[in-house]
Amino acid sequence: MKHPLSEPGRILAGLDGAAAPMSRRAFLKVQLSAAVATTIGFSGLWIPGKKAYAGVPDVAVAVGDIAPAVRKAVDMLGGMGSFVRPGQKVVIKPNMSFAFKPGTATNTSPLVVRELVALCKEAGAGRVRVLDHPLRREELCIEGVKKACDVFNEDIVYGVTRDRLFKPTPIPGGKAMRETDVMREVLEADVLIAAPVAKAHGATGVSLSMKGMMGLIWDRGIMHWRYDLATSIVDLASLVKPHLVVVDAIEALTTNGPSGPGKVVRYDTIIASRDMVAADAQAVATVQWYGAAMKARQVEHIRLAHERGLGRMDVENLVVRQERV
Amino acid sequence: MNRFQRIVQSATLMVFLLLLVCAGFPLPGYLPLDGFLRMDPLAGAAASLSARHLIVAFWPALLVVVFTVVLGRFFCGYLCPMGTTIDLVESAGARRGRPLNAPDTWRRWRPVKFHALAFLLGTAALGVSFVFLASPLALITRFYGNLVMPVVAAAADGLLGLAADWPEPLRVDGLAMLQVPVHRFAHQWFLVVFFVAVFAASRLAPRFWCRYLCPAGAVLALCSHRPMVRRRVSDACVDCGQCQRQCPMGAIDDNDPRQTAHGACITCQQCVAVCPVTAVGFAPGGRGPVVIDGVWADRRRLLGTGIAGAATALVSLSGLHHLHGREGLGRILPPELIRPPGSLPEDAFLASCLRCGECLSACPTNTLQPLGTAIGITGLFSPVLTPRRGPCEPGCNVCGWVCPTGAIRSLPLREKTWAKVGTAHILRHKCLAWEFDRRCLVCDEVCPYDAVELTSVAGIAVGVPVVHENRCAGCGLCEHHCPVKAQAAIVVEPMGELRLAGGSYEEKARSLGLSLVLAKNRTAAGDSGERSVSVPHADYPAAPGETAAPDAGDRLPPGFTR
Repeated sequence: MKHPLSEPGRILAGLDGAAAPMSRRAFLKVQLSAAVATTIGFSGLWIPGKKAYAGVPDVAVAVGDIAPAVRKAVDMLGGMGSFVRPGQKVVIKPNMSFAFKPGTATNTSPLVVRELVALCKEAGAGRVRVLDHPLRREELCIEGVKKACDVFNEDIVYGVTRDRLFKPTPIPGGKAMRETDVMREVLEADVLIAAPVAKAHGATGVSLSMKGMMGLIWDRGIMHWRYDLATSIVDLASLVKPHLVVVDAIEALTTNGPSGPGKVVRYDTIIASRDMVAADAQAVATVQWYGAAMKARQVEHIRLAHERGLGRMDVENLVVRQERV
Repeated sequence: MNRFQRIVQSATLMVFLLLLVCAGFPLPGYLPLDGFLRMDPLAGAAASLSARHLIVAFWPALLVVVFTVVLGRFFCGYLCPMGTTIDLVESAGARRGRPLNAPDTWRRWRPVKFHALAFLLGTAALGVSFVFLASPLALITRFYGNLVMPVVAAAADGLLGLAADWPEPLRVDGLAMLQVPVHRFAHQWFLVVFFVAVFAASRLAPRFWCRYLCPAGAVLALCSHRPMVRRRVSDACVDCGQCQRQCPMGAIDDNDPRQTAHGACITCQQCVAVCPVTAVGFAPGGRGPVVIDGVWADRRRLLGTGIAGAATALVSLSGLHHLHGREGLGRILPPELIRPPGSLPEDAFLASCLRCGECLSACPTNTLQPLGTAIGITGLFSPVLTPRRGPCEPGCNVCGWVCPTGAIRSLPLREKTWAKVGTAHILRHKCLAWEFDRRCLVCDEVCPYDAVELTSVAGIAVGVPVVHENRCAGCGLCEHHCPVKAQAAIVVEPMGELRLAGGSYEEKARSLGLSLVLAKNRTAAGDSGERSVSVPHADYPAAPGETAAPDAGDRLPPGFTR
């Protein structure tokens, strides 16, 4: 039997609900494990808590140099092998919307992306693509990441700016936005990895993994003029769900985001999670925004996503493990 | 048409097209991208005349003239991409079934090219350039750069789009991800009509354009009445008339094949190839008989045409929309007149711009578009920024570098960022934030100069954008990305543009109190002093529950809620 985590990475959450017929054996297995879990849970044999928990944390925080921190954070979640099976198609979505230098923290650090690509390759990934829908001339925006990924000697990094490379897709869980055009590459990928940089955002408080999904669709303008921005970000998050989120908080843009120039603060931190809401919430808590500590619930789209059950923003109730490298 | 000519012509056209394709972003500065344009003696003469100074960039044209005195109109026969294109169209079928040289029923049109030249020089004498209507190099550059290449690119992109729909096993990985830049241009009609006419005219007579109409050919014809190396016919001639019938330019006398109108001869040497008794050759020196196109007999008429040109110039100068005199009251400046960065002051700009479209096809964002009649006929097809289509990329300066006449100055990148082309204005009645209380900050987000700032205003729940004019270079990224439909809620207009004939834009801009520093450089250079390199990382960030959110009374950071 396949490892449960390898369940063919369907990115379209709305579509994988279409209940595949379950074998009797699998059904019994689920029933049994649920029963066991319930028993253990209620009997008090297993108490949720950071100390006692020895397995995979909900949120992994690694502090240190860029590449080792990325590796550590992913390892804490069980390693890239638990996300990427050999031969699978992977799309990595960093933020490379801006044509500014790395020190401005407007784009994801190219080294973060390179390490993620390397991890995917080590896990035996088939095709790895690093994609974004940039705001400026694509070659200027993707320049840094593309250069960093030169070591792999293949075409990996693309700024996708043509409508034909996007495909109309319904959003079954959408409250406001019920359809959008999603990058074909993303629709066809087995695994999606979000790799946002931690930065402030004048309209949405912060721009992290959920906000970053706007870089995978064609018409973002409509989220500004037709829909409520926070609501439609959550709508989009209900459709395009990364399997792994790796937030680059090595350097965070803490003021005047998303484009800066603003105050860039060094946190030397990488935050990783399977849960995009939790990853974003943890990043909100890690960084001082405009010099103030903010709560995840103060970011409207994070709160709405939590309320809709897309993930959990109450990181205080989750297992957050931090390690230094 | 002989083999040697074919080879040279093909090679030249290839080089021409290659240079045109290479003229783009990033710019291969080591290539002579505007080389062909600078070989046009008509453009050189007329633009220099209308701009009132010798445009030295046209030294290759002078070279062509000198060589023409020696060799005749070799340029027309071998190098001119317009001539080659016409030859191509003719051999591809435009003259199928027609004799290479039918009896020249259009003989009376021969002087037309000289009149066209006189007309253009007449307008140029008054500082108005209409050379763009007839300069073969400018026209053919536009034809390929602004019509053919976009069509080819659109077709290629369409094919790639189909590739994306191929079923998985057939799909070539990465093919569908190729993105061919597709340019779109206004006023294609002119090019279509003009070139359909030129190609169709070839059915009337071979190289109709070159024979009768081309004023650049007229300049070269004037230089080659008695070229040093010219066609001569030996006594072996048997009067068979083969050469006369095969001459694509009709340069050989109908009755006496020994007689040549050298001004019409493009030295293709077809006559040499077809002569059954090898009586024809091209050789230097001697005093062969010379037939002149009969144009000098008509000097008075030519003068009249020149005066007509001057009169036309006067009429266009007196039109309502012509930007007469100095900036000030009563002068109508159309909002779309946003010139490329580094454009000369308007009069000098229009006088020297050839409308070759080189900048248009080189512009990576397609923001450069040919203007219509917004400033009258004198501004027709001159380049303007169209931010709604694309922004002026701050990291790009190719338009100035490919401009053959210096109508757009070739500025170093740093200077270019200071060459303000206009100023962004917010139309509050259309703005999502100002008018509709929507949280939109796209203009702020995309502004590379950090000239747009979100600010809070009493009575509006969301942050609203304001433009700091002294930081705005008019690049139009804001207008381009504004999600408001139809006219954007933030538009660039030419107000505050800098147009310098010489000297430093940075100095001028700074003296005016402008601060056109790119945001990325502000940070790196510490211009804004905002950046901090502190390392405040605590061992572990406080759990969210333990940290107090700012008091309700405090101002929240932008975008956060309570």
